[in-house]
Amino acid sequence: MFQGLTGHARRLLRSMRRSLLGDGRAAGPTCLPHLPQPLKRLSRVVLTDEVDRTLFREYASHRMSARGAEEIGWVLLGIREGDHGLVLATLPAGAQRNAGVAHVEFNSSAQALGSRIVRQRDKRLTTLGVVHTHPGSLRHPSDGDFEGDSAWVSNLRGGEGIFGIGTADGPEGNGVLIGRQPQAHIQAFGRLLLSWYALAEGDRQYRPLNVELTLGPDLALGLHDVWRTVEAFAEPLERLCRQQAAVTFDIVPGSQGAAFAVCMKLAEPDTALRIIVESGEAAFYWQRGQEMFAIDVPAGPLDRSVYLALAELAEKA
Amino acid sequence: MDFRPLNDTERRQLIGALRGNAESNLAILMDRRTTTFAGTTEEITDDEVITAIRSVPCHY
Repeated sequence: MFQGLTGHARRLLRSMRRSLLGDGRAAGPTCLPHLPQPLKRLSRVVLTDEVDRTLFREYASHRMSARGAEEIGWVLLGIREGDHGLVLATLPAGAQRNAGVAHVEFNSSAQALGSRIVRQRDKRLTTLGVVHTHPGSLRHPSDGDFEGDSAWVSNLRGGEGIFGIGTADGPEGNGVLIGRQPQAHIQAFGRLLLSWYALAEGDRQYRPLNVELTLGPDLALGLHDVWRTVEAFAEPLERLCRQQAAVTFDIVPGSQGAAFAVCMKLAEPDTALRIIVESGEAAFYWQRGQEMFAIDVPAGPLDRSVYLALAELAEKA
Repeated sequence: MDFRPLNDTERRQLIGALRGNAESNLAILMDRRTTTFAGTTEEITDDEVITAIRSVPCHY
């Protein structure tokens, strides 16, 4: 079963260490505000600059894609405190979303796994709301949105959610592209607009929500590079997370760009089962201290392969 | 009992929890078996977040 130590495995381990030490995207400590404030009704949403750039960049990129006529969206994670929500991460709708020109339903399995990965760093991160786009010039959530959102907000801290609406009906620019804020609740970047609203349990309508920017990361940005992989393996990995407490995730350099790494610590000191998922395939490694050994496991659902590998390792222990 | 020094993240979390307790009367959670610091009530469970994500309605 063990194929032996390989140079590839050593390089992989070094890459993982670099990733763990942090390149500012997927890992590394983040100093977030410490003192919680009692929840009040939302009066503003605070976006980090990187979150805001992600939303505008991916919205623009989506419009240029083959599915550009469809609606698109993101789930927002962050910290809810006082009278505001601080948005710190964006979870994409995913390629497996159900969408058309007049609706979008996110791939929630991938977003659920994405939330686990992002929240490894800070368990205070919670679901704050949703951004989605409209194809025309409706810069306000629709009646259909209200029907779903008014029930959904009861799942959120404070019973209140943040809702962003993207439209592409801004004026043509005539110079350097710089973001503007034509109204307190509207951001513009070229022709793209994001209009922000809040809705609480029992509200009869959305209300405009002032938007502010602060310097900071999009804690999920590194995941966006491997989102197709996250989607492809979301269900088995979610099952694994529910069954095993010590599953952790990283984004590591792969042979063709970023790869997705799963780690399960084993009972013996300094040992772990590591899985590198890239281009739709999973490679299994047994790590012992500084050494990595490739493991052959039969093809099949990822969680099944994990348990087969664990059974094999238990037999050798 | 494990008396190892706290790492940076643990130290930052503990200082934040102590400050929250002193200034905002927030509870500090303790491991029932080892009495070690186990976080604060600010922390939100995976289930709460995932339930919200899985119930995001279709948007129009």
